[in-house]
Amino acid sequence: MGYDASNPMKDRITDVGPRDYKEFLPPVIKRNFGKWLYHEILEPGVLVHVSAAGEKVYTVRVGGARLMSITHIREICDIADKHCDGYVRWTTRNNIEFMVDDEAKLKPLMEDLEKRKFAGGSLKFPRGGTGAGLTNIVHTQGWLHCHTAATDASGVVKAVMDELYDDFGRMRFPAHVRISLACCLNMCGAVHCSDIAILGVHRKPPMVDNEYLANMCEIPLAVAACPTGAIKPATVEGKKSVAVNDEKCMYCGNCFTMCPSMPLADEEGSGVAILVGGKLSNRISVPMFSKVVVPFLPNEPPRWPQTVEAIKKILYTYVEDAKKYERLGDWAARIGWERFFEKTGLPFTEHLIDDYRFAYTTWRTSTQFKF
Amino acid sequence: MPQLEVEGKAYEVDEDGFLQELDKWSRDFAQGYAAIEGIEGVLTEEHWKLIDYIRNYYTQFGIAPMIRKMCKDTGLSLKQIYELFPSGPAKGACKLAGLSKPTGCV
Ligand code: HEM
Ligand code: HEM
Ligand code: SF4
Ligand code: SF4
Repeated sequence: MGYDASNPMKDRITDVGPRDYKEFLPPVIKRNFGKWLYHEILEPGVLVHVSAAGEKVYTVRVGGARLMSITHIREICDIADKHCDGYVRWTTRNNIEFMVDDEAKLKPLMEDLEKRKFAGGSLKFPRGGTGAGLTNIVHTQGWLHCHTAATDASGVVKAVMDELYDDFGRMRFPAHVRISLACCLNMCGAVHCSDIAILGVHRKPPMVDNEYLANMCEIPLAVAACPTGAIKPATVEGKKSVAVNDEKCMYCGNCFTMCPSMPLADEEGSGVAILVGGKLSNRISVPMFSKVVVPFLPNEPPRWPQTVEAIKKILYTYVEDAKKYERLGDWAARIGWERFFEKTGLPFTEHLIDDYRFAYTTWRTSTQFKF
Repeated sequence: MPQLEVEGKAYEVDEDGFLQELDKWSRDFAQGYAAIEGIEGVLTEEHWKLIDYIRNYYTQFGIAPMIRKMCKDTGLSLKQIYELFPSGPAKGACKLAGLSKPTGCV
């Protein structure tokens, strides 16, 4: 029966969890589950896995915009129906993978995917994202959906991927390059652990709406939200509110997350910072955090040219200079960060010097350095 | 701001129905609002136990109690709280208790 608003608990189904993934496995994957011997990347965007039974599965990976309409998902389903017996999967970086169990089915699938375009000309299903190249940008809500954003997500991602597009379909980098974006320093996603990260930041303290604050906010939560202790309770014109010490504020926006009466987004103040050198895998070197190398670039919708330019500069300096298998962070660590700034031509400013709590450990306690 | 009429009295609420003028709260407001939150009939002693507890805690500390604290002090389990307030302790109980809307990554 339909939902009955006057009797909301009637016929209510709950706590059933997600569907079991095994219901949706292609038969060839199901048959060879846990019995794979090896795999090869046949060409950018195309993988083959071979099982102990000698069975093969071919995977075609294509880029996804992550934010997509039901119409687009239906088109993906149509393709899956036509070539893959109705099976399809999404990757952890929001790419889409179509799998076939026979080499003869591979070419028709690839040709079908290639020819599909949006009315504006963009490819609907660009092939790539494998091996030592570029793959999708893990990103967030931006101005589409989130209230704490300092920059947009989808817009910046489209601008960056357009400029770097060729390398989505190639594998000529020293190692994987993971680019991520978060529109505020809540860092939903992977910006703190990516080769290159784009991060929305503010540069102005919150505006305190004394009129409504006491009715909208739990004041102790706003006070406790501040990492630098810049907020204290205050009575303003007879009303309970808070006072912000602007000298101590570094515009993280955490107080706004807790208290809607402390907004801080600003057309000129908010923009983008760039971080580099993070990684998640344990391959050779331990996982690393990404570090800030560009403290601020302005929001420039719709194409963010300065942000795109900075990313290209960093990425292609790395691609030219690094050794095989070196992730961006491995490379920067080997040549030294002075050289990183020298080679990329990025200015080093005081903003990049850590000054938060145990910042001391990020300074150099050694005479080992290059002039 | 939208107005909500409960038992013949108008209250300012936000788009999610949370009271905007906390000092206007009354037991009539809570009772009148209960139906909207999926609670049938008159509020029971158990309902009031939780509402009163939340209001007292808020008056004393200026914040809503953590769930663990709420359960420990009232002796109600989270399951029982959901049985009393189907939308849960925050969207259900705190709303009827006239507290401001929960914030953060909810
Ligand atoms: C014996 C079982 C398997 C082993 C030992 C294995 C091993 C590996 C290794 C070593 C990588 C490269 C990781 C890197 O370079 O960072 C990889 C990548 C990958 N594997 Fe497997 N794999 C196995 C089975 C599978 C199966 C069954 C699938 C799905 C059909 C799969 C899908 C992938 C994908 C999508 C990648 C990423 C390729 C890329 O982005 O370049 N693997 N695997
Ligand atoms: C201010 C705090 C946060 C807010 C307001 C927020 C908001 C949201 C919203 C509204 C969605 C759903 C988007 C949609 O349906 O269109 C979402 C999805 C998501 N959020 Fe959050 N979030 C917050 C914090 C976080 C944090 C801290 C993480 C992880 C560290 C996170 C990870 C995710 C992920 C993985 C998704 C799913 C994305 C996808 O489906 O593509 N969120 N978030
Ligand atoms: S990173 Fe910040 S602005 Fe972006 S979705 Fe997450 S919380 Fe919202
Ligand atoms: S923006 Fe961040 S640093 Fe500034 S007052 Fe708010 S919580 Fe504190």
